[in-house]
Amino acid sequence: MVHVIVPSVLAAQAEGQQRFDVAAETETVGDALRALPVADLLFNERGEWNGYLNVYVDGTDTRERGGPACPLTGAREIRVIAMVAGG
Amino acid sequence: MAIGVLALVGTRKGLFMLRGDDARRTWHAEGPLLDGWGVYHATVDARDGTVYAAANHLVYGPTIQFSADGGKTWQRSKKLSLPEWSGLTVNAAWHIEPGLPRDPGTLYLGADPGVLFRSDDHGRTWEPNLGILEHPTRDRWYPGAGGLCLHSIQVDPRDRRRMYVGITAAGSFRTDDGGQTWMPVNKNVAVDHLPEMYPEVGQCVHKLLLHPARPERLWQQGHFGVYRSDDCGDSWDRLDGNGLPTSFGFPIMIDPKDPDAAFVIPEKSPEYHYCPDGQFAVYRTRDGGQTWQQMSDGLPRPAWAAVLREASAFDADSLYFGTQSGSFFALADGTWIEAVRHLPPILSVEVTQWFT
Repeated sequence: MVHVIVPSVLAAQAEGQQRFDVAAETETVGDALRALPVADLLFNERGEWNGYLNVYVDGTDTRERGGPACPLTGAREIRVIAMVAGG
Repeated sequence: MAIGVLALVGTRKGLFMLRGDDARRTWHAEGPLLDGWGVYHATVDARDGTVYAAANHLVYGPTIQFSADGGKTWQRSKKLSLPEWSGLTVNAAWHIEPGLPRDPGTLYLGADPGVLFRSDDHGRTWEPNLGILEHPTRDRWYPGAGGLCLHSIQVDPRDRRRMYVGITAAGSFRTDDGGQTWMPVNKNVAVDHLPEMYPEVGQCVHKLLLHPARPERLWQQGHFGVYRSDDCGDSWDRLDGNGLPTSFGFPIMIDPKDPDAAFVIPEKSPEYHYCPDGQFAVYRTRDGGQTWQQMSDGLPRPAWAAVLREASAFDADSLYFGTQSGSFFALADGTWIEAVRHLPPILSVEVTQWFT
């Protein structure tokens, strides 16, 4: 299993659930996030990640590893973090 | 039985429900619901009691959320989207307008970038109106500071095929065929910032209302003036002056019992969005805009408040508005009551009856 942890605003949109499990054989981080009940809040209508969204796999920023295409081989945790912005 | 008024107050940080007694003097606040979301507009569908919210988030995007249990639990509509061929994407959800009582399940949604959606399944899914999306004048529409927002939707209660929308900054449009085609209805509405003072489109209408008892009568507060139309928008008369301190402002309210009445909250100018000279006031006309009187009893002075386009409401008994500084006011026996203060910046206000 790969654990996915989302921020509280997203958890509130998933009946309070903040932690999700996805199958270990899920190939990419994009596939994992598309399986969540809040996927519509993570991707825009063209299927791209929303701006201001940071996604880390085992502590590594997925921007360094292909974004949604980042492979999940051997990964244990995906952490979704809203970018710090505004006041 | 109704025991008072329920105000849905959308803020930059969530939705608050304010319950006032029948006299509009004692209020109780509940919230924030939809915590963390910018609620550009929320309304109760009087046909079935469902609460709908146009909730936007910097990170998670535009959504429509609805609650069948008074805000305890919420569902999201299917993701809003525009056809890929349009080259446009939905930037923000702005205004939800329930359809006529004889059309249960039909609602309309205005959104940025100047688009209108319709739902026929109680808000679960939304389809864009192609007449607006493909409007031949779209290349002459320009976004205001809040984006290219479609913020006003008015359905003629006598004829569902006739509707009006207001778009900043495109102007007002009317359909007489149920949304197949839309004609600009901006004659005599000034645009001071373009080379042509009275173009076909490009007007920065801030809020457009239809009078339910006389549906051919429309009121608008625009970027450059307050206007009234008595012919379904075919022509407009400018009404500022005659007692109004400025022509600029965002909200406009009406009295459902009196087609000659309207209420505006003037701001200093297009460059300075706060009340002029610290004189915070609502201005009222009861003669179709020929004269205006100040209504300021109970409002703080001096004050430099600002009220956004969606942040006022009316019913048969009172008027209501909220400020960007988080104060909510209701009119009780001719005096403004600051019912709640220190909310996050108020984006929208709607009212309905509160039942036990």
